[in-house]
Amino acid sequence: MATNKIKVDALVVGGGISGMQTALDLADQGYQVALVEKEASIGGKMIALSKVFPTLDCCSCITTPKMSAVAHQENITLLTYCEVDHIKQNGKGFIVGATNKPRYVDMDLCTGCRQCEYVCPVDLKNPFDNNLGAIRAIRVPFSTAVPQKVVLDIDNCILCGKCQTACAVDAIDFTQQPEEIMIETDSILLATGFEVTPKDAKKEYGNGKLLNVIDGLDMERLLAPTGPYGHVLRPSDGKEPDSIAYVQCAGSRDETLGVEYCSRVCCMYAIKQAMLLSGALPLADITIYYMDIRAFGKGYEQFYQNAKAMGIQFIKGKVAKIKEDENQNPVFRVEMVDEGGSVVEHTHDLAVLSVGMLPSFDPTPIFNVPNDTDGFIMTPDQNFSASLTMIPGIFAAGAATGPMDIVDSIMTAGSAASAASAYIKSQQNGKEESSSKIADLQKESQHA
Amino acid sequence: MPEKKDLQKDNEDIRIGVYTCYCGGNISDIVDCEKVRELTETLPNVVVSRTDMSMCSDAGQAMIEEDIRKHGVNRVVIGACAPSLHEQTFRGAVARAGLNPFLYYHVGIREQDSWVHHGNHEAATEKAIVLMNSGLAKARLLKPLKPIKLTAQKHALVIGGGVAGLRSAWDIANQDIKVTLVEKSPFLGGRMAQLETVFPTNKPARDSLHELIEKVIDHPSITIHTQAEVKSMSGYIGDFNIKIEQISRGVSSELADQEAVIDSCPVEVSDEFNYGLKTRKAIYQAYPGNFPSTLAIDWENCTLCGKCEKVNSSGIDLKKKSEIIDVNVGAVVVATGFKPYEPRQGEYGYGDFKEVITLPQMIRLLALNGKDKALMFKGRTVRNIGLIHCVGSRHVPGIHEPQEDGKVNDYCSRVCCTATLHMTNDIRQHYPDVNMYDVYEDIRTYGRNHEEYYKQASENLVRFVRFQAAEGPQVFASENGNDQPLVIKTKDYLTAGLDIEIPVDLVVLSVGFMPNPIEELTKILKINPGNDRFLQEVHPKLRPVETAVSGIILAGTAQGPMNIQESVTAASAAASKVSVLLGQGQVELEPFVADVDHDKCNGSGECVQVCPYEDAISLEEVTINGKVCKRAVVIPANCVGCGSCVSACPNRAIDIQGWTLGQYESMVDAIAEGMLALEVSA
Amino acid sequence: MKDPEAKPKILILATLSGGYAGADSVGQLHINYAPNVYVLPVICPSMFAEDFYLRAFDKGIDAIVVMYSGTDCPYIGGAERTAQIINKTYPLMKERGIDTRRLRLVAICTVCTNPFLKEVNIANDLLQEIGSVTNEISVPA
Repeated sequence: MATNKIKVDALVVGGGISGMQTALDLADQGYQVALVEKEASIGGKMIALSKVFPTLDCCSCITTPKMSAVAHQENITLLTYCEVDHIKQNGKGFIVGATNKPRYVDMDLCTGCRQCEYVCPVDLKNPFDNNLGAIRAIRVPFSTAVPQKVVLDIDNCILCGKCQTACAVDAIDFTQQPEEIMIETDSILLATGFEVTPKDAKKEYGNGKLLNVIDGLDMERLLAPTGPYGHVLRPSDGKEPDSIAYVQCAGSRDETLGVEYCSRVCCMYAIKQAMLLSGALPLADITIYYMDIRAFGKGYEQFYQNAKAMGIQFIKGKVAKIKEDENQNPVFRVEMVDEGGSVVEHTHDLAVLSVGMLPSFDPTPIFNVPNDTDGFIMTPDQNFSASLTMIPGIFAAGAATGPMDIVDSIMTAGSAASAASAYIKSQQNGKEESSSKIADLQKESQHA
Repeated sequence: MPEKKDLQKDNEDIRIGVYTCYCGGNISDIVDCEKVRELTETLPNVVVSRTDMSMCSDAGQAMIEEDIRKHGVNRVVIGACAPSLHEQTFRGAVARAGLNPFLYYHVGIREQDSWVHHGNHEAATEKAIVLMNSGLAKARLLKPLKPIKLTAQKHALVIGGGVAGLRSAWDIANQDIKVTLVEKSPFLGGRMAQLETVFPTNKPARDSLHELIEKVIDHPSITIHTQAEVKSMSGYIGDFNIKIEQISRGVSSELADQEAVIDSCPVEVSDEFNYGLKTRKAIYQAYPGNFPSTLAIDWENCTLCGKCEKVNSSGIDLKKKSEIIDVNVGAVVVATGFKPYEPRQGEYGYGDFKEVITLPQMIRLLALNGKDKALMFKGRTVRNIGLIHCVGSRHVPGIHEPQEDGKVNDYCSRVCCTATLHMTNDIRQHYPDVNMYDVYEDIRTYGRNHEEYYKQASENLVRFVRFQAAEGPQVFASENGNDQPLVIKTKDYLTAGLDIEIPVDLVVLSVGFMPNPIEELTKILKINPGNDRFLQEVHPKLRPVETAVSGIILAGTAQGPMNIQESVTAASAAASKVSVLLGQGQVELEPFVADVDHDKCNGSGECVQVCPYEDAISLEEVTINGKVCKRAVVIPANCVGCGSCVSACPNRAIDIQGWTLGQYESMVDAIAEGMLALEVSA
Repeated sequence: MKDPEAKPKILILATLSGGYAGADSVGQLHINYAPNVYVLPVICPSMFAEDFYLRAFDKGIDAIVVMYSGTDCPYIGGAERTAQIINKTYPLMKERGIDTRRLRLVAICTVCTNPFLKEVNIANDLLQEIGSVTNEISVPA
């Protein structure tokens, strides 16, 4: 296997908003940064969102320039479709082994013209649209992807060769192999983000089997201007829903799921979606069932009050169960807290689970960077160095350290960059011996 | 169209690329972008006209770059979102393709067209075309410009010695940038020093704070001035000249027998450290162990009676002195913090009943009370405490009275919920017999490990009572014969809206955050507060710690309510920004400054007279065609580009580069001509 | 060149630090207003002398609203100088028979959405009442 070696001051793991901001803050200070992203494009979860609270800016408009800046910043080496395999301590720095997964496309040749995509006969569920829309087996992951290069889903490819014929620059290579990269770095920043509560997590809410029970990310895609249908339609029959209900804390503050924490973003994204829905479907009734509305950020409470004034209904109640009636309408069994706990049934057309945030990446198999009891990366000095992990030289930013929204993620990114920068400076002022160490390690890896 | 033909002839080498962005539907749902493309394509000098789903994407930018490289496009006009969002992005793309980045003009057709004319697609399309045509008119007259490069002082000023200011200073200094830190009060530490333990770590607040303060004091690159305030600022990013007024402390650091000196002072004033629960003297320390450890004289309240001097003449100087310190810095961090909301007289009985206090006061009360004895307040044992949330926060117009400035505190203060529950756990631990009633609207324990406090509070049998904003709780004096002096009356929505009465010994108001009063400072720095009175960032996601004035950066609660973790994180993020700005020792400024055409200038000096800036423009002797004559000369670094000189010049000899009169006139013409002219020409 | 059927045109000169951002704020709120309004960004309107406005009217602009930053003007004396120039423009407009209400100076901040909309309405109401500037200028430039 061919091995490329690069040497940087900082390795950022994760190309979502936190990772991009961390990388930019370091690179803009003159540091050499490698950014590793496991997906074929950077952008993370944020690029798939519709609009962002509380400004209702188009999300893509905020994310794409950052993605572009990362791609164009000379001090950043961008490694997409790449995963970190192992980390070894190297003095006070690290040697990181990563694998460039085969895209089956030559990155240097591909122009992103998408001709291959147009001729590909295989239609698959589009992961970027949360599997709601369709995508080809060979494709640019999404319209604003960075880099604008295609990637081939080999598991679903039928090897018909049409893409190869269509490609004007001979970029398609079915024989491509994984490529190992060795990254020598003084510091590591984990910006590995989050996943959301799986739809089938709660059997009370239909175990993921009820068609008209979707989650917040599904709704983001339905609302996005680049979304799969261009309209908000309910999955069972493609009708515009007249009555949409949100279930808050569907996966957070829930001991039965082992998730006792608050996911911080669900209240605000539900309110935001409700506002966007009342624009998209002016006649629809929108209800949010909640326990506490946590609109705590700058401008958030005002946003919440605006939503109330717009006629969105907020009901303090626990949704105990969702079942289906004969028309596949979700029927909610709700304990109405504000009415002394009386239990009522409400039927809606579409249910949206305000799913919570779960840890996405567990570094412990790769290196001993411990997690906290909540599963997110442990940051022992939460008040004074919230980006510091248990390992000197390894920092964490964004939702890798617990649920947080975009604004807070960007703040932690700046703070992690500051901490890493201080670490790199102190390192580089005080050591010269690292080159011999890397030689040793390289010998080791040759033997292996 | 004779005018247009001439234009084309005069500018044969002008080759314009026109780009109209769909903005993922944000624009194209309303504006017929293809029509914009078709029409602009026919206009003079236009070489290519294109649309894209998202012009700011890498692909969109690559398309523009390719047109510049392959089709010889040498002027770029982009119609997209507001220029404030993406002007820099596209300048970058233009520059990467080898074209001067100022040969590009950005037309806002989202915020100022598709988003405000959604009722009328045709008119919106027409307007987009006219706006793009006016952009084209300007583009024909664009000239290449070079950014002004200035040496940046590797020195930052941090205003505020609370935890955010201290942390910013420390982080900046660690990037090899010098720091001057000014603190208005005589002591460092800010609001955090007034806390006992902090959530979510439950660590003693002052231990961690003091550790940071000691590191800051010991750092060789940090200079600290207490009792100091910024009095004036001039200059620009990279090179601000700041005057700091420092008031003398009146007490020498060598002063021995501090206690005897304090005892000798006859003045008693309310002790702000304990939020008025105690008094202090006019020569004082904030708290034992504070930094700096030297006592300070409270000049506002000192009567200059001289009694302290009699105890110790050598260490005290009762002559108040003020000194002006000049610093030359590249960036300024504003970390001026917050003050707790002060309830109005009568708000939940505050001021009417002595047993109504605020959360910060309660925290001090617990500290002063000591842990090994019963909880006492004003001589009475406290057995029942009522806690009321959202005091001074989440106010709703029409329900809550506006503040003195006419504004309604409609924001959430973010910290009070967890702070209150954190305190109830403390109380339960040390005073197991006290009953607590938590009267709330929503419990917002959002942070990592914060939910734990909510859970603990429930386990600790804190009784929760939920109100709704329109029917908030009220505090009354108890009827005679009742054991408790006060009663809280409210509807409880956890029990179906039952009217309940809670007799209590003490009411604690969970007050929100207000920014510290810094009107003077904001005027000096020319930065603006937002509607909530906290300082306003440029954009919460794109530029979250920057203000509208380049080089002036926000840190901590001056920007909005934050807990300690968030303040420290924000402070570090601010430091990162300062390091990005100053770390390279050079700052680039936009080249939009005055430029004099010496052929047209006749040395009238009108511009020099009207210019309000020092050393920005002056009459100098220059040699033109062998003749020595007086002409106006601009010093770009001192020119802000306001353009006063442009209108003053009798000869139209001055222009602001990039925003010339000629460009404006051509844009106005394009707007005046409107669609009709375009359709005729097409 | 002038189209007798043309809809009245309102030119807004708006400061980047004030009115232009204010107009963007209106956009962010998606509030509809009349489309005959064209906003040009300016650093500070103190750069325009009296003849700039007269010329614009000559060219067929029916109303001009100068949205400066007022007391929030980031430039020393910029607001005062702008006000002086506008005041000196009024008598010159009168001389030419142009209704002086066609030129207005107002302070608009970055979040002044309602004042922005109010100004748009005032200008449109005025043009409903007094019609196109071409009626007033006998000899177009």
